[in-house]
Amino acid sequence: MILTEPVPPPDPGPPASPAASPAPGVAEAAVDLHAVSLAFGPKQVFRDLDLRLEAGRVHALIGPPAVGKSTTLKLIAGLMRPDAGEVHVLGQRIDDLSERALGAVRERMGMLFQNNALFDVSVGENVAFPLRRIDAGLTEATIRARVSERLAKVALAGFEERQPAELSGGQKKRVGLARATVADAALVLYDEPTAGLDPVTSQKIYDLVRGEQRATESTAVVVSSDVAGVLTIADHVAMFYEGRVVFTGSPDEARASRVPVVHQFVHGTLEGPL
Amino acid sequence: MSTAEPGWALPAILGRRTLALLSQLGGLALLARDLGRAARPEAGGLDRVELVRHLHRMGVRSVPVIAATAAFTGGIMVLQAAPFVEQFGAKDFVGFFATFVTFRELGPLLIGLIFNGRVGANNTAELATMVVTEQVDGLRALAIDPVSYLVLPRVVAMTLTMVALVLVGDAVALLGALGVAQVLLDVSLAQFLDSALSRLETWDLLVGLVKALLFGLGISLTSCFHGLRVRGGAPGVGRAVNASVVASAAGIFVADYLSTFLLP
Repeated sequence: MILTEPVPPPDPGPPASPAASPAPGVAEAAVDLHAVSLAFGPKQVFRDLDLRLEAGRVHALIGPPAVGKSTTLKLIAGLMRPDAGEVHVLGQRIDDLSERALGAVRERMGMLFQNNALFDVSVGENVAFPLRRIDAGLTEATIRARVSERLAKVALAGFEERQPAELSGGQKKRVGLARATVADAALVLYDEPTAGLDPVTSQKIYDLVRGEQRATESTAVVVSSDVAGVLTIADHVAMFYEGRVVFTGSPDEARASRVPVVHQFVHGTLEGPL
Repeated sequence: MSTAEPGWALPAILGRRTLALLSQLGGLALLARDLGRAARPEAGGLDRVELVRHLHRMGVRSVPVIAATAAFTGGIMVLQAAPFVEQFGAKDFVGFFATFVTFRELGPLLIGLIFNGRVGANNTAELATMVVTEQVDGLRALAIDPVSYLVLPRVVAMTLTMVALVLVGDAVALLGALGVAQVLLDVSLAQFLDSALSRLETWDLLVGLVKALLFGLGISLTSCFHGLRVRGGAPGVGRAVNASVVASAAGIFVADYLSTFLLP
């Protein structure tokens, strides 16, 4: 599907909750932003933004800098609230939930932050955080086993006692990725997972994201400025420009798009509106 | 930049400052409310591991600097008074004078200011750095309440630590005072203790500890508040630390004045 306008919600009928009951034949939405508006002071970030991300897929959110890609992730995680509109995540409307009530939704989410947001504790403790906080009933031995298994998956076996300050940029990303996925979240948000990394390390990170999503059949939402890289793992692409979604479709459709701004951004050409 | 009409510049500045002060006080009150909620058992209560970590980091590691400052302060206090003690033959009052001033005023005030500069500033910088590096958002994304996990253990640790440090500081300051009194004024240990114990009341010590409690609570709340509301990346961290230290120092003097007035 190639569009120049935001995607309309699948069922614009009377139900107040667009994510609550998908129409027959329409895949369940992991994320549904409906008529979302948001401004930072005089800067209007979104105006009536609609975005629907189906469950069980890898979604790439692309676009030029400062168009609201990371802000979208924060809206999905409940770290920010819209000025107007509705945010539905994993079947629940979250924009009107209290911080405490949001906790139950966040327990089913994982998030990798742009600069990793690793805490000043050992690598093992960083990865164990979601398990200690969310699954309070787990034994110490189980937690250690799951941490070791997860670190091995991201090629950091034996790094449990290292401090984040001792790690390279790529290793920090992998620790962040391990932490985001250790609790087998249904929805994992990745904010610029390859920022500042070399192409080989970037591809390894993308492969990990894809592999994790396939293994758990979770939903992954990846914000990335590395368009070529992220398109290699995405099932679905949404491009943001000037406060709205100007394209949604498959990676192949994105590459074939004749919409000037999409074509220029995806192919990295100098001629165009950007 | 002021946009007030001529003649209204001063009222405009005063108005802005008043609003900023009220905003800060309102923010502190909201943080205190959130702390109360986070402390309830159904909300998870106090994280004891974090509490012990902060008690060690903020308390034990502060002992050397507090002890050194207190020892010199006690000595200097007697050094300053020595000429007058000799002039008026008041050696019997040296112990009482040193203990009374240390317990009631000098101990809590001086240690409060040092604690603010060392622990309060560090606390603000740490929290502010966690905010700008998205660690606080990271906690929230992990369904962890930052007030419960970050603020509550720090406030409890800083308040308890402040009281403990004032007790340690008082003792060391008196040792310093005794040492100088012995060397300069030839006041014996027995004379010093007798002078203090015969005139001093338990209340004099308690007043100082109540002040320490108030200062500790004020410094902890203020430093956490400024740390968590930082804006603007690394430069913002510096501004937050500066604002926190200044606000806490001002708060210490106001609380000291009021508590001295209310606790005779």
